[in-house]
Amino acid sequence: MRSFTHVTAGSLAEACALLSEAGGKGRANAGGTDLLGVLKDGIHAQGPELIVDLKAVSGLAEVSREGDEVRIGALATLASLDRSTLLRETLPLLVQAAHAVGTPQVRTMGTVGGNLCQEVRCWYYRYPRHVGGPVGCLRKGDGPCLAVKGDNRYHGVFGGRGCFAVCPSDLAVALTALGAVVDIAGPDGSRREVAVEDLYEPTTLTLAPGELLAEVRVPVPARPTRQTFLKFTVREPVDFAVVSVAASLDRDGPGCRDARIVLGGVSPRPHRALQAEEVLRGGDVDDQTAARAGEAAVAGAKPMRHNAYKIGIARTLVERAVRACLDA
Amino acid sequence: MDRRRGETRQVRLRVNGQDHVLTVGGPAADVAVTHTLAHTLRETLGLTGTKVSCDRGACGSCTVLVGGEAKLSCSMLTVECDGLDITTVEGLADPVTGALDPLQQSFIDHTAFQCGYCTPGILMSAKALLLKNPRPTQADVQEALSGNFCRCITHYHVLEAVQAAVEAGAASATAPDSRRARR
Ligand SMILES: Cc1cc2nc3c(=O)[nH]c(=O)nc-3n(C[C@@H](O)[C@@H](O)[C@H](O)COP(=O)(O)OP(=O)(O)OC[C@H]3O[C@@H](n4cnc5c(N)ncnc54)[C@H](O)[C@@H]3O)c2cc1C
Ligand code: SF4
Ligand code: FES
Ligand code: FES
Repeated sequence: MRSFTHVTAGSLAEACALLSEAGGKGRANAGGTDLLGVLKDGIHAQGPELIVDLKAVSGLAEVSREGDEVRIGALATLASLDRSTLLRETLPLLVQAAHAVGTPQVRTMGTVGGNLCQEVRCWYYRYPRHVGGPVGCLRKGDGPCLAVKGDNRYHGVFGGRGCFAVCPSDLAVALTALGAVVDIAGPDGSRREVAVEDLYEPTTLTLAPGELLAEVRVPVPARPTRQTFLKFTVREPVDFAVVSVAASLDRDGPGCRDARIVLGGVSPRPHRALQAEEVLRGGDVDDQTAARAGEAAVAGAKPMRHNAYKIGIARTLVERAVRACLDA
Repeated sequence: MDRRRGETRQVRLRVNGQDHVLTVGGPAADVAVTHTLAHTLRETLGLTGTKVSCDRGACGSCTVLVGGEAKLSCSMLTVECDGLDITTVEGLADPVTGALDPLQQSFIDHTAFQCGYCTPGILMSAKALLLKNPRPTQADVQEALSGNFCRCITHYHVLEAVQAAVEAGAASATAPDSRRARR
């Protein structure tokens, strides 16, 4: 690992100021489950010169309800979401998604902020320095995307532009289905809010140097909704999603007032399957509707050379998730 | 302690009940800023019971207890461990009598290892579970150990060993009725 200056931040404002000063050459460290791998593999041409530890910042690990919102601090661990009775009662989708992440140890250490801001798992991007890397690519601002001509079996089938690496975060998929926003703290004490899915641009996160996630805010549905998170992995557990789906249905007897279907593992950002939502919204929902929603969810997919198989998985997962919401 | 950009700082660790003060940076450094807790435990403190296999957070062989919770020592920077209370596999045995922890004894009795490289990590994950929940079900044990990989496929023996330790603990430590009340 290349050396760096290490600072333990006493507050979020201090962390933002230090990282802003470092102008892109600094990194925050929360649980470290992603960052340590990035540092050890030396995947970037230049290592960070400054690491700012966030773990001593107080007041950022809470999960609480305020009015019709649940607020989750950026330093809340995935294990704390998994254990939370408040979430179990109000936003079960989030509990399921948190539980689907990695291993018990990763969930005990990993935080919500780190989960949303983790770097992509594209194997060209992650190629280790000590075995001939780092490998430059478009996402690193150094040459073309290598996945286009290379092996792209784990890459996206929707919405790639320049970079086709998929958003690796399970929480982002569930939070998008729940209509959550992130509260972003800036170096000058400013705050801004963006929808979770808008954190992700095709080639980067929408965070400027010195900007950090402070908390996630999730609206509690006015009526209880049926929520299901499903994840297809090569091996279980410990794996990133090949495809995942978060479904939330606002049921009305046999009918469905509203639906949110979001796919993970298929796009640089959590992918709203708007056409599937359209199929479900308004009318009665049964197994046939679930199948049609699955079809609609993958309409317009543009597979690359090695990843068309993801389309079938996505179609099936959406169908199963909707059916699970009917049974629930 | 200088929390800021100080070239030199000290990290206080309690490992298996023993306190250590380590200097980070400067000419008399015990630890470099890039060192992981796993590295410090093994190379600086000589506690080689903790194993490093993947060194990327995926296999669980480096698992130690931090404040009673199972964490990956390969994925923690030692400079960020100031003030932590850590237990490694060396800390499982009784420090006075040297008697093995019942979990360790049960692993021996059930031959729950082959090469043994994954075993310290598995023991620590199992210990973390039993600290939280002394009467886990088989499903609880499987879930708690799902982040520990064994190349030698000892998982079935491990499950038997943990279950036997749970039952032995239950039989010796608690009367049957209070046992039910626990879970
Ligand atoms: C074996 C293994 C399996 C995994 N499986 C999964 C999986 O199935 N699903 C999944 O979603 N993830 C998975 N992960 C990724 C895992 O690292 C994240 O889930 C974890 O939540 C990251 O949190 P962290 O606090 O450890 O992040 P860190 O490593 O501390 O940080 C990750 C990145 O986010 C930045 N960051 C941290 N906090 C903030 C903040 N508040 N604001 C802005 N930026 C911030 C850091 O600078 C860094 O670049 C896995 C990881 C491992 C090692
Ligand atoms: S998919 Fe993205 S991260 Fe992977 S090689 Fe292409 S540009 Fe780089
Ligand atoms: S060595 Fe730490 S998880 Fe594998
Ligand atoms: S006993 Fe060999 S890896 Fe588990």
